[in-house]
Amino acid sequence: MFDVLLKHMNYIAAMALFVIGLYTVLMHQNLIKKVIGINIMETSVFLFFVSIGMVQNGQAPIINLKDASVTYVNPIPSALILTGIVVAVSITAYSLSLIIQLYKQYGTLNLDEMVDEVEHD
Amino acid sequence: MISTQFPVYLVIIPLAIAVILPLLKQHRRLIQSIVSLTVGLMFFLALFNWFELHSFGAYAYNFGGYAANLGIQFYIDELTSLLVLFILFLSFIIISYSFADIPHELEPHQFGLYYSLILLLLFSMLGMVYTNDLFNMYVFMEILSITSTAIISIKHRKANFLASFRYLMLSSIGSITILFGLAFLYMVTGHLNMFEVHKVIQSVWTTYPMNLLLASGFILTGLGIKSAMFPLHVWLPDAHASAPSPSSAFLSALVVKVYIFAMYKILFRVLGTMMVKGLGIDQAILIFAALGMVFGSIFAIGQRDIKRMLAYSSVAQIGYIFLGLGLMSEQGLAASLFHIFSHGLMKTALFLSAGSIIFATGKRKLSDLDGIGYRMPVTMIVFSIAAFGMIGIPGVSGFMSKIYLGLALIEGQHPIYLALILLSSFLNAVYYLPIIIAAFLKEDPENRHAMKMDPLPKRMWIPMVVLAICLIVIGFYPQLIMDIIEASLPAYLVG
Repeated sequence: MFDVLLKHMNYIAAMALFVIGLYTVLMHQNLIKKVIGINIMETSVFLFFVSIGMVQNGQAPIINLKDASVTYVNPIPSALILTGIVVAVSITAYSLSLIIQLYKQYGTLNLDEMVDEVEHD
Repeated sequence: MISTQFPVYLVIIPLAIAVILPLLKQHRRLIQSIVSLTVGLMFFLALFNWFELHSFGAYAYNFGGYAANLGIQFYIDELTSLLVLFILFLSFIIISYSFADIPHELEPHQFGLYYSLILLLLFSMLGMVYTNDLFNMYVFMEILSITSTAIISIKHRKANFLASFRYLMLSSIGSITILFGLAFLYMVTGHLNMFEVHKVIQSVWTTYPMNLLLASGFILTGLGIKSAMFPLHVWLPDAHASAPSPSSAFLSALVVKVYIFAMYKILFRVLGTMMVKGLGIDQAILIFAALGMVFGSIFAIGQRDIKRMLAYSSVAQIGYIFLGLGLMSEQGLAASLFHIFSHGLMKTALFLSAGSIIFATGKRKLSDLDGIGYRMPVTMIVFSIAAFGMIGIPGVSGFMSKIYLGLALIEGQHPIYLALILLSSFLNAVYYLPIIIAAFLKEDPENRHAMKMDPLPKRMWIPMVVLAICLIVIGFYPQLIMDIIEASLPAYLVG
């Protein structure tokens, strides 16, 4: 039982982080916390994606011409996640800039108060 | 074939021009001519590519000459190029309308920025339609979600920032969910190219059913959020209603459709009909589609703001598209694709005419529109034609999509959904007809018996009239589009 858990640690960790992130985005009314939640979700997916490229006893994927018998980890997931991180940063930057504008306009960071104010207008 | 490289040009040109536009600052004339030349040029490139495809057939374009399993691939078939042609045609119409409307809605220094965003939007939409690589699709999707949020938040108003923030949060959740699903797919298959993934899935799907079910669940939920499938549509009304009118037209007519097309690709090119049916995904899609059709219309009835009403009506119409998709038959798919085109035209016409009413009178409330047909006859006639299409009155393209959908439902032995289509059409009539009746038959409180030409610049009413003509032409000659769709479908439904 414990062995199985340990063997699939990456799945469990990714799923737990994903759910924590989703909970933070959906249940917290503070906008900054929502953005943090999105980031946690993104991290969980990145972690999972990189971990599936793992090869037992694998080396860093740098071509070694002298010794062809060395096994490498799968480099594609890491390369993809590098792109994914760039995308995540741009989403975070854009949402933070939106939050600055929202704070200027409403004077609060609470989503409920903003919705109330819009509906009263 | 001369036009082999054109799809790449079509993606690169808007990206390059989008970088240049913000440098031109306040030269409105110059920006206008550059943007219309760019989109016009892209339209002709796409048209040329489309003509050549008919004689040469579908082909795959490998970037940098790398093999399909190593590099990124574009796959261009008749359907893709027809959709690209449609996107560019509608964009050209919306953009030429927006030249008059945008200075009215935004501050002068934002003019160049707005078109820069529009070109980036085009770039990501075309990329998503062409691409045959799953991760590439994800990247284009993220660019699309940022730009489509930005064309809402560019208008500095309280409601816009809030709507775009909510949209951004939900669409980020959607894209992260999709990436999670892609990770599961990659785990099982070891490929990212759609055809390669499909090949592997064919042989292993009985070995890893759980894994593939999780993957397709994650991906379809994510795409469902982004394409506003019924219970996940909550972001749509605010976002589409508060955006500047040309942006609303873009979002409602094109962006949502591109996500739906991505869903087609996932369902048919990646998973394959057999697996979709084996996992029971089609039944789930049918149920959500039917719920969306009915509840979208019910919510629309309760709205008082014209653009919010149109946004809820989009939720209902997306339900029709998913209904055809969920049938998993050739007729169903053809009907849903036909509705993508006809809904795109109708919704653009509706949003542009609603935008003209707001432009000329500043009125957004449905109760203020009494007698508006006398002051803005052209606008209201276009609005009425498109609304008749939505209801499904013969002679407009919306009627034909309902006929095709109905025939597909009868073929697929789903008479219950046919009843729901009739119910939804009836509900459509409940909220569209009162506007038309109030506009033409009620008395205008301000100036009665005075029929005048619309107080609109030519730039605004000509695109609307073109749209109305297209709607009627397709209403009478649906074969113009349906033949192409039916010819290109068999390639999709294999496996």
